[in-house]
Amino acid sequence: MTAVLDGAPVATRDAGRRSSWAAALALALFEARRLLLTLPVLLAFALYVGWIVWRTPDFQDGYPALQDADRAGQTTLLLVGMAVLVCVNQAVLRAKRRDTERHFAVLVLPRSWRTAAHALSLVPVVLLTAVCALAQFGWSALRSGAVGSGSPGELLVGPLTVLLFGALGVLLARLVASPIAAPLITVLLVLMLFVAGGFPAGDGERGLRWLAPVVTEASSQTLPAALLDRPAAWHALYLAGFALTLALLAVLAGGGRGWMLTAATAGAAALAVTGGVLQCAPVGADTKAARERASVSPEKDQTCVRHGSSTYCAFPEWTARTESWADVVHDVQSSAGGTARTQPLVVRQRIDARHGLTGDAALEPSMTPHQVTVGTAWGGNRVPEFSAAVAAVLVAGDEKAAGSLCDGRMVTVMWLALNRLPDPMTSLRDVRLDDSVSGSAIVLSPTNPMSMTAGQTDVVRELLGRPAGEIAPRVTAHWAELTTPKVTTARVAKLLGVAAPKAADRCE
Amino acid sequence: MRVSRQARAIRQLLLPAARALPWRAPAAGAGLGLLILAVARIVDSDPAPWLAAVLLRCAILADAVGLAFLMDDPARHTTATVPTRRALRTAVRLALITPVTALWWTAALLLVPSQARPPAGALTLEAAAACVLALAAGAAAVRLTDALAPGPSVAAAFLFTAVVAPLLLPDRWALFVAPGDARWEAAHQRWAGVLVGAVLLWGMCLPEPVRRRPGALRVRSPSGTSDPSRTW
Repeated sequence: MTAVLDGAPVATRDAGRRSSWAAALALALFEARRLLLTLPVLLAFALYVGWIVWRTPDFQDGYPALQDADRAGQTTLLLVGMAVLVCVNQAVLRAKRRDTERHFAVLVLPRSWRTAAHALSLVPVVLLTAVCALAQFGWSALRSGAVGSGSPGELLVGPLTVLLFGALGVLLARLVASPIAAPLITVLLVLMLFVAGGFPAGDGERGLRWLAPVVTEASSQTLPAALLDRPAAWHALYLAGFALTLALLAVLAGGGRGWMLTAATAGAAALAVTGGVLQCAPVGADTKAARERASVSPEKDQTCVRHGSSTYCAFPEWTARTESWADVVHDVQSSAGGTARTQPLVVRQRIDARHGLTGDAALEPSMTPHQVTVGTAWGGNRVPEFSAAVAAVLVAGDEKAAGSLCDGRMVTVMWLALNRLPDPMTSLRDVRLDDSVSGSAIVLSPTNPMSMTAGQTDVVRELLGRPAGEIAPRVTAHWAELTTPKVTTARVAKLLGVAAPKAADRCE
Repeated sequence: MRVSRQARAIRQLLLPAARALPWRAPAAGAGLGLLILAVARIVDSDPAPWLAAVLLRCAILADAVGLAFLMDDPARHTTATVPTRRALRTAVRLALITPVTALWWTAALLLVPSQARPPAGALTLEAAAACVLALAAGAAAVRLTDALAPGPSVAAAFLFTAVVAPLLLPDRWALFVAPGDARWEAAHQRWAGVLVGAVLLWGMCLPEPVRRRPGALRVRSPSGTSDPSRTW
C-alpha cells in the first residue's frame, strides 16, 4: 500500500533544539535548588552570613574605608567556594552513582547538555554570594564614619571565585568519575591557601601571586583608593574567563561538539589569558610617582579645612573626618593652659605609600612646629593615640621633640590627652603597647612612640582617678612650670597635688 | 569454642575482605599526601618547621578523607543478616588497612627533612586522631542511615569540619598549633581527647542496628542520597 502525504513533512530539528534548551533550563533549576539545599553549602552560607554579622559592625573600628571594605569578605568566600565545588561535583556524579546514566541516555538531553545544566545550576549560588557580598559592603558604606570608595572589580572577585570553584567541580566530575577526586582537590586548595597565606607578599605587589583566586595583602594600612592600584578589574576578568573556560571544557568533556562551542571555549580562554597577563604587569610609573608624592609631599594632594583656630589637611577622601579630629584637638586644648590653649595647630594626614600594600612602614615624626600627624584609620585605639600626639605637640613643640620626652612633662601630656576622653583608664590601657596601667610602657602615637616610666604611670593613674574639675585648675595655674624641660615627675606630682613617685625619671 | 569459631571466620574473611575493600579512595588519598610532601621536598629542601607541620597536616587530611570511604559497602543490606557480625567484618577491614596506613605514615614522616620535622610522636597522635575520626564518621553514617556508600557525604562532612575547625576553635581549645608554640603540649592533650572520643564513637557505631525505625535519620547528603536506596 502506498500512502500519499498530504503536505511536506515538518522539520522537527528546530523544535528539538528548543526543547533541549527548555529541558536543560528545567534541569538547571532543579539542580540549583538541590545545590542550595545541600548540607555543606547551607552550613558554609550560614557561617559566611554569621561572619558578616559578627565582623562588619567592628570592621576598622566602625570607621571603614570602603577601598578596604570591598575586599574584606573575599577570603571567607573561599569556604563557600569549596563547599560548592564538592557538592556540585557529587551532583554531577549522582547519575553514575545511582546507575541512572543509561536511563538518561534515552531522554531528550544528551550528556553534554546535562553537563551544561549542571554548570548553569551554579548561577543562583553565585548570585546569592553576590547579594551577601553586596550586603556586607553596603553595611560598611552606610555607616556614618565611612570614607573612600569601593571598586566593583573587588566586589566581583568573591562571587566569581565561587563560580570558578563550582566550574572546577563540574569539570572534575567529567574528567574523573570518582567521588574521591573533589575532596582531594579541596585538600590541595586548602594547602595552597595556607601556604600562600603564610608566605609574605614577596618583593613585588604584582606577578604570579595574582593567579590565585583571592589575593590578600601583607599590610593592613589604608591608602587612598587611587594609590592602591590593585588590578581588581583585570583580576575579575581573569576569574570570569577562567571559570567560563572550565565550564565549557566540562561541556566538551561531556561530549559536546560543534564549532560554536569550540569557539566559545577559545574565546573564554583568551579572556582568561588577557586578564591573567594584564593583572600581573608591574605597577605603573604614574602610580609610583603618585605614591611618592603622597608620601613625601602630601600637601600637593590634600585639601585643608579650618575648624576653630586650627587647620586640618586631609586627602580628599578623608575631609569629612576632619570634624572628628577637630573635636579631639578642641578637648585637649581646652584642658591646657598658657598659650597652648589658643595655639593654632596644623593637623596633617600622612601616609607612607611608597611600598604600596606590601608592608607597613612607620611614619617619621614631623619636625615642623605645631604640626600633628594623623593617619588614615580612626576609631578605637586610634583616638587616644592621636590625642596623645596632639598633647605632646602642645607641650613639646613638635613631634620630633615629643618622641624624646623623658621628664615630668610626660605626665602633663598623658593627662591632657586622656582626661576628656569618655573612659580615661581604658584609653590609657589602649594607648600603651602592652595594654597595662602600671609599670613602664611604650605609648603609641601616629608617628614615633613615646615612653612612660613606672613612676609617671603611677602619677597619671592617680590623676585620672581624681575628678577633672580638681586637677584642671592646677594644670592651668602651673602650666609654665609643668611644661618646662627637665622638670621632674616628683615636682609635677607635687604641683598637681598627688603623691610623688619614689623612683627618679629614667627612660629606657 | 566461640573464640575459635570467630578466629576461623576471620581467617576465612581475610582474603575476600581484602578483595572487596574499596582500596581506590584510601590509595588516592594516601598517594596525594605523599605527593604533597614529595613536591614540597623537591621545591624547598629546607622548609621552616611551621611549614613542615602544615604540609604533614595536609597529608594527614588527604589520607583521612580517603579513609572516610573505607566503610562503604554496596552489599551491606545483603550481609546484614549473615551470622558473622558487622563489627567483626569491620574489624577485618581495619586489620587490613592499619598496617598499610602505618607504613604510609612512616614514609610521610621520612619525606620531611629531619631538621624541620615536628615532634614525630605528637604528629602521629594527630594523624591517628584524624584517621580514626574519619573511620568513626564513616561508621556512624552506616549505622544511622540506609546509604550503601555514604563515603562522599562523609568525606565532605569531614573536610568541612577540618577546614572550619582551625577558623572557629577558640584559643583555649586550639588544636592546630605550630611547633614551638607554648600551647603545643596542651593542644596534644586535646588531640588525645579527640582520639579517645573518636574510638568511642566508632565502637558505638559498629553493631548492626536491631531494626530500622521508619524515621531513621535521613541526612540529605551532598549527593542527594537522602532516601532509602532505590537500587535494591
